[in-house]
Amino acid sequence: MASPAIKPGALVTLPELRPSSEFFKEGASLRVTGKLQEYSVETAIAVIADDSATLKVDTQHLRELSFRVGSIFQFIGELHIQPNSEAILQARAGRNVDGIDLNLYHQALQLVRQFQAERVNSATT
Amino acid sequence: MDQQALHNTHVKLLGFDLLSLTPSPNNSSTFYLKGNPISRAEIVGVITSRDQKPNKFLKFTLDDGTANVTCVLWLNHLTSPYFSSRQPTTVRVISEAAKRFASDAQVGKVARVRGRITSYRGKLQVTVSDVVIERDPNAEILHWLDCLSLARRRYGG
Repeated sequence: MASPAIKPGALVTLPELRPSSEFFKEGASLRVTGKLQEYSVETAIAVIADDSATLKVDTQHLRELSFRVGSIFQFIGELHIQPNSEAILQARAGRNVDGIDLNLYHQALQLVRQFQAERVNSATT
Repeated sequence: MDQQALHNTHVKLLGFDLLSLTPSPNNSSTFYLKGNPISRAEIVGVITSRDQKPNKFLKFTLDDGTANVTCVLWLNHLTSPYFSSRQPTTVRVISEAAKRFASDAQVGKVARVRGRITSYRGKLQVTVSDVVIERDPNAEILHWLDCLSLARRRYGG
């Protein structure tokens, strides 16, 4: 049986993932998208970027993916905040999303959030 | 809108909306979406876990960014008494299709899943009829937009 403890990966953009953000929390389940900037075969640590924002992603559980620098990847996993306040996402799922329309993705993400907020409000009123 | 219009269609839903449907007190296969009775759903998301019991079922989790939806794909067609009254050739076709869906459904893939909404131990899930793996990286975004637009125009808010 799937563990009920695993939360859905909240949709978040890298520029939003600042220390002041509600998403920037130890153990937060997130879904992030960005262009692969660096990848180390030895450590399986990837760095993805969106505009000037970057995020480290530990991909040790995703050995079957082929990591090409310059390609766009999407990862789902848990955020861990290291003692130096740097965040790293421990990925449990990932895929290459070359060809994604990032503008559309960012806009759609805002609309989904707005819709969810409206549903929650209408349920409580 | 005709109250029954959505009852046998696969209603495109975001995960959190599916999990908050209201079960009908009189009919275990009917659920209410803003007062509209529905029984089937279509969801799209990333497969984040899978647990297969060979020749019994595949249980997998679909994460669409709003919720984790548990999906159950039955693989017991050749042994289940439920199918014994149906044409053996038909049952074989259904069984082969289910096996193919099960091997396609791997962690990290984006799947479009259609099926019946069911309740198991008080939690809603989808009993899968078919699985299509989406290769277009924009497919999930377009599904979100479909869900939002249908919710506003057809499903009553």
